[in-house]
Amino acid sequence: MWAYIFRKLIYNIPIYLGIILLMMAALRVNDPIWAYLGKYANQERYDAFAHQTGLDQPFVVQYASFLKDVFQLNFSTESWDKPGVEVGAILKRAIVPSLALTVPALVITSVISICIGLLASFYRGSKIDQGLVILAVLGMSISFLVYIIIGQYFGAYWLNQKMETELFAIAGYEPGLLNWPRYCLLPVLISVIVAMGYDTRFYRAVMVEECTRDYITTAQAKGASRKKIMFVHMLKNAMIPIITRIMITLPFLITGSILLEWYFNIPGMGRTLLTAINAKDCPIIQVFTAMFAALLICTNILTDILYAVVDPRVRLS
Amino acid sequence: MIFGYQTRSGLTFTLTLLLCGGFFMHPAVAEKSLRIPLRSDDPKSMDPVRGSTVYDNRPASMVYETLVQYKYLVRPAELEPLMIQSMPKVTDNGKTYHFKLKPGILFHDDPCFPGGKGREVNSSDVIYSWKRMADKSNLPKSWWLFEDTIEGFDEYRVEQNKAVDAGGKFDYEKPVPGLKILNDREFVVRLKKPVYRFMWVLAMFQTSIVPREGVDHYGAKFGRHPLGTGPFVMKEEDWRSGQSMTFYKNPNYREELFPTEHMPEDKKWGFDKAAGARLPMVDKVEMPFYVQDQPMWLQFMAGNLDYTQVPAENWPKAFFKRSQRLRREFKSKGITAQAIPLLDFIFYGFNMSDPLVGGTSDKNKYLRQAINLGIDWEERNDAFYNGLNIIYDGMVPPGLDGYPKDGKATVNYRGPNLEKARALLAKAGYPGGKGLPRIDYYTSTGRNNQEQTEMFVQHMAKIGIDINPHLVDFSTLIEYVTNRKAPIFAFAWGSDYPDAENNLALFYSPNQSPGSNHFNYVNSDYDTMYEKMTTMSPSPERTALIEKMRDRVVEDSPYIGSMARSRYYLIHPWLKNFKPTEIFYNWVKYMDIAESKR
Repeated sequence: MWAYIFRKLIYNIPIYLGIILLMMAALRVNDPIWAYLGKYANQERYDAFAHQTGLDQPFVVQYASFLKDVFQLNFSTESWDKPGVEVGAILKRAIVPSLALTVPALVITSVISICIGLLASFYRGSKIDQGLVILAVLGMSISFLVYIIIGQYFGAYWLNQKMETELFAIAGYEPGLLNWPRYCLLPVLISVIVAMGYDTRFYRAVMVEECTRDYITTAQAKGASRKKIMFVHMLKNAMIPIITRIMITLPFLITGSILLEWYFNIPGMGRTLLTAINAKDCPIIQVFTAMFAALLICTNILTDILYAVVDPRVRLS
Repeated sequence: MIFGYQTRSGLTFTLTLLLCGGFFMHPAVAEKSLRIPLRSDDPKSMDPVRGSTVYDNRPASMVYETLVQYKYLVRPAELEPLMIQSMPKVTDNGKTYHFKLKPGILFHDDPCFPGGKGREVNSSDVIYSWKRMADKSNLPKSWWLFEDTIEGFDEYRVEQNKAVDAGGKFDYEKPVPGLKILNDREFVVRLKKPVYRFMWVLAMFQTSIVPREGVDHYGAKFGRHPLGTGPFVMKEEDWRSGQSMTFYKNPNYREELFPTEHMPEDKKWGFDKAAGARLPMVDKVEMPFYVQDQPMWLQFMAGNLDYTQVPAENWPKAFFKRSQRLRREFKSKGITAQAIPLLDFIFYGFNMSDPLVGGTSDKNKYLRQAINLGIDWEERNDAFYNGLNIIYDGMVPPGLDGYPKDGKATVNYRGPNLEKARALLAKAGYPGGKGLPRIDYYTSTGRNNQEQTEMFVQHMAKIGIDINPHLVDFSTLIEYVTNRKAPIFAFAWGSDYPDAENNLALFYSPNQSPGSNHFNYVNSDYDTMYEKMTTMSPSPERTALIEKMRDRVVEDSPYIGSMARSRYYLIHPWLKNFKPTEIFYNWVKYMDIAESKR
């Protein structure tokens, strides 16, 4: 397995270098300094800024320098938009709030959606199945933003007024497990409701496919209970698409949820990235992209390994 | 160790005594805490020379101080001493200013000072702070405030920056001929020529006074570690990026009192009652940031913010459109409303370098005038601003000398006047728009700009002009405008100080792009008048000159305009002494809280 991982990592190095190259080139198509300086731009400020940030160097030098920083995990470059603050510090501060939203949301959504998918597939064609499918389609059809606006109004403001206590904060974030329900539970619930529509439909389709397999008929013939067929036989055999689905989501746990973070004033990664894009803060965009690409490569390798773990027919070679 | 009964009783007694003693010795004084919103993701920097936006200005004005400040309750705006004992003695026909600092102004306590105790401000601090604006390694955004103003300062700047480019250091010790220190508390500033705006500039937060020790100690981090003389202090850890800032009362703040001078109408709001009270009036200020308006609005409605600006989409919920009066459900909660006109200049600009719409030829001038006459400002105002904006002729916003009576100037091309527009278009050689190529129009994305653009296109179509709209992000818009690639563009200008000169400078030819004259308007007569006007003090002659300049520009029509917004504030009954303004931002120190009313 280790040889496989090592080999995969080696194969992915050129891809990674290519991603960084493309990203850095794309950021320089329109001169990032003019874009950043905006209405305060003049040649003198341009030159001073280019010199300070190293953007007066040839592209190759900038590329090599950034790669060196990435491979040394040195993210001490100063943010353009927040002078005096290192990019690494900004991202480090933003990761935890993002994970506080995305990890519980992923876990809750996956568990509930898989269970509903199992149930719907087992009762496929029945009223229960139809009802669940309608709910899932409804959930998917409404914009995330609508859920956020309504959720924030009723879940935080209206409910708090009715109960005369602050159950959920309208906006804001405080670190710590004890503060989590107050600041994160409502956005997590909104996220779960939105994601459940998509996930339920996906898992239902996967489970329906599994229901038609011969091993299910065999298990039924052998007198296995419904519960055992669903949660042992079917679930185990559906692990490949489940793993694929969950693993695809993993890198996005770090990137956070832009809309939720924006509306609930949660200083996470999504908001940090969007702010950086709006402010043309190149160092943050570069590090963020490099980090995301690395995570994507790692989760791809991890997905392959997990395939081999759950399905003995898969060999890592 | 196990304590015996008696020992435990003794301990309990002692603890009880200590606790009670503590309680009685320090009677509980309720902390007055203010909660005010900042409509921004995050201020960029708290270093005055690096700041430029309202969002930098507001928090910086709580920590830093300038030599002069605006009188809090007086309108129209007037200046008064803040760090100086009295307004400077001006001699030499308005060219020499003699300043004397107040005694006992202390920098905030900080480890960068010996023993951690903030030292007294002296004349060198003022000169040093201003010199930082000249040092390009600080990436100052507002050098223009001092440009071509102080004797020898421009030359000093060029010389020092050259030295830095050559590998040397910026020499802050080197004297500037126009900045002379007399002693620790007195200094003289000699201007190249009388510059009326000079005193307004000294009230701007970019010219705030900073300690050299702090800048040297914190280096690049100085912008995150504000260290001034202001009524509030903020530690680095109290700036929670993307979330909030928390300020605490400066325990060493000198005796500054709530003003006694006020407008007659201020009595209605009870602003006269605090006269003579010591500033600042609250112990703590929490300033959460909001990118989206809904959470800010809900926080205000829930009583978690003491005031709020009224977001455009919430305005109809709070006010009756016709009467603009506050709705009963708000009044019943004791909420009050205040509206303040902004020093706004909202316009569409022409690039005068453009061969189609620019230039000084009559043909192109008629085309620009026709476009002006084709715009229905009232419709735009009603559709996108709830009809609340003020539409006016010229570039001088309401409230300033040079603003035409009721917003209507004798010389104007304000639309809609489609008949006249068509006639002028024909005069320009494009009858019914025939032969006129499609004109590119650039504006930024965001808010309702798409809809506003559609309205602009429709207005132009009515007179036969075909507009090719480009909605781009703001930085691309800036790039297009700066590089003279946008024939028509949508922009807005908020005056930096309450004097028409700030807006008239937008048409001064030395300020052409990439400077603030994005119209690239060149008119030597106008330039001569502008140069004369900058040296004049307010007088009927100056006002007449401003009006003449305004009319000259309107006739040449390098822009289509104009409109100014009003900002609406809602205020909870427990917030006292809040007289909102958007000209200056150091007013938090005057605000008070009746905690019992929360």
